[in-house]
Amino acid sequence: GRSAAQKAVIRVIPLKVEPILLEGEFADVAEVTPAEGKLLQSHPLSLCNTSEDEHPESGFITIVKLEQPDRDPNPCLSLANKAKLAGERGARAILFDITDDESAADQLRKPRGLSQPVVLIRGHDAELLMGVVNKNREAHVKIEVKEPPAWPDYD
Amino acid sequence: RLDANLISVVPEKSFEGLLSLRHLWLDDNALTEIPVQALNHLPALQAMTLALNQIWHIPDYAFQNLSSLVVLHLHNNRIQSLGANSFDGLHSLETLDLNYNELLEFPGAIRTLGRLLELGFHNNNIKAIPENAFVGNPLLQTIHFYDNPIQFVGQSAFQYLPKLHTLSLNGATDIREFPDLKGTTSLEVLTLTRAGIHLLPRGMCQQLPSLRVLELSHNQIEDLPSFHRCQRLEELGLQHNRIHEIRADTFVQLVALRSIDLSWNYIQFIHPEAFVTLHSLTKLDLTDNQLITLPLDGLGGLTHLKLQGNAALSQPFAKDSFPKMRVLEVPYAYQCCAYGSCSNFFKKSNQWGAEDLSPEEEDPHKRTMELFPGHADNHYDLDADDIQLDLEESKLHPTIQCTPNPGPFKPCDHLFE
Amino acid sequence: NVSQGCQGGCATCSDYNGCLSCKPRLFFVLERIGMKQIGVCLSSCPSGYYGTRYPDINKCAKCKADCDTCFTRNFCTKCKSGFYLYSGKCLEKCPGGLEANNHTMECTSIVH
Repeated sequence: GRSAAQKAVIRVIPLKVEPILLEGEFADVAEVTPAEGKLLQSHPLSLCNTSEDEHPESGFITIVKLEQPDRDPNPCLSLANKAKLAGERGARAILFDITDDESAADQLRKPRGLSQPVVLIRGHDAELLMGVVNKNREAHVKIEVKEPPAWPDYD
Repeated sequence: RLDANLISVVPEKSFEGLLSLRHLWLDDNALTEIPVQALNHLPALQAMTLALNQIWHIPDYAFQNLSSLVVLHLHNNRIQSLGANSFDGLHSLETLDLNYNELLEFPGAIRTLGRLLELGFHNNNIKAIPENAFVGNPLLQTIHFYDNPIQFVGQSAFQYLPKLHTLSLNGATDIREFPDLKGTTSLEVLTLTRAGIHLLPRGMCQQLPSLRVLELSHNQIEDLPSFHRCQRLEELGLQHNRIHEIRADTFVQLVALRSIDLSWNYIQFIHPEAFVTLHSLTKLDLTDNQLITLPLDGLGGLTHLKLQGNAALSQPFAKDSFPKMRVLEVPYAYQCCAYGSCSNFFKKSNQWGAEDLSPEEEDPHKRTMELFPGHADNHYDLDADDIQLDLEESKLHPTIQCTPNPGPFKPCDHLFE
Repeated sequence: NVSQGCQGGCATCSDYNGCLSCKPRLFFVLERIGMKQIGVCLSSCPSGYYGTRYPDINKCAKCKADCDTCFTRNFCTKCKSGFYLYSGKCLEKCPGGLEANNHTMECTSIVH
């Protein structure tokens, strides 16, 4: 597996507003691959087997704001399975805002070969992204793989 | 609706005269028994929930006059036992939910439910599913029974269920033989993991013409039959078994097969024509086997190939062998060099002294601006040169993940040749 | 970002996700408003949804597309217009031996 987490460049293009460039990191649970689509927020409880709610047509990128772990003592699914479920429901990529739940990074470290990339975002970058969500203005998102720096020269 | 109250008793005459009552909610109360008498006067009742109570037993003939009942929810009670005739009289029942109870034995009383479509008894304490368990329920489409300590399953338990789509059994360690699924012809997903199966019957696929997903990981399978009659097979999971060979006919004609997981076996030999007819194959996992060579015929469509843990597999791979590759795991770092994982290292080694531009020194503006897709319907407010850049790079270029990544201590040259 | 006072029947909530859990007896519903999806707590499920009570949460989920109100996802209690209700199912035509009652929009036994 990869030693340092692979960085992701996240380009958020709200309708009629200047694009925002953010950074996140790819989680090893899924493949490191680019993705793009319309931004949609998902409530953490929407990613459960029992919730057969309406699913937006596929081709979107979902953002899930994770709450502090003690606020959801017995989650319906593991984060890996929530990411898998989101992919099965048509998400092209899953963004997790882990500002309030750093343990999520460990939970999503074990490779599971999920096809849709899973990107973790936190802190100021997450705040900017959730700001776009809060304004509830349609936005398009593009996720790119940030090239790893070249190896230092040992000659 | 009487749900979410503190009802502990339902007097006998509570529903007398309600001859047209169709739907009854008594869930989330304090009942410790089925209100048998009160339920005797509801000929039109079609749906009832007694979930989230403290019912511990269902007596014989508990619902004998509910001939119109279609849905019965009893989940989240404390039901430990059922009378042998507890469901007699429920001639119309299609859905029975016994999930999250304390049943110790398989609910044999279901045998009288001839129209049952949906049965759930997951999260109970049932240890065995007997022979002919569902002989009285030929219309069953779904059976959920996970999270039970099931050790034994009768060979004939799941026969003659022509509507059943999914069957999953995990951890039933007493299962020694593959179940006889005669007459269960619509099965699409069969999961039978962590059992003791060591042999797959030759005629297995004849019984399962609709099978799409076959998951048999963590068993003791040594020899594979030909799966060629499983014509719709898409996913095959055989990891953690004792397979030592893949023959020419093992996967022949499986034109829909997309993914094969053979990791953690003892495979030494794969017949050169083993993958030739697999036109849809995109994922192949052979991690931790004993391969010496890998036949490449038929593998041109792979996007995922995993070969780590095959110490004797030292053949280099040419990039054009796998034109669609995205994730490649190989035994040795030098086998990644064909995939440009060491492009910088290559530049250095091939053009000594050439100016070596690390990605950071490239024009960052160019790199990030190349990100836009050129959607025709892209109505976002982009200025002209954004769109122009966008059109040149109209497709996101996928990266290839090849591990182990070559590095200074894992050079591209194979040191041992 | 955890708001101090929770609206409606929430027991716990947050700014971005709305309700995270409900007060006793209330049903948790997911509501999508444009790009946002928030949790809401109601005393009963809205039309087109059915409620299921569980020990840790009471949840609303959608009925099938051809159904207006339902007991469970697979058992409808009132079909959308153009469909006849029969034994929890919504049918475009009544099965043999039954007649379509255009007043109640149900399939009923033929009375001789």
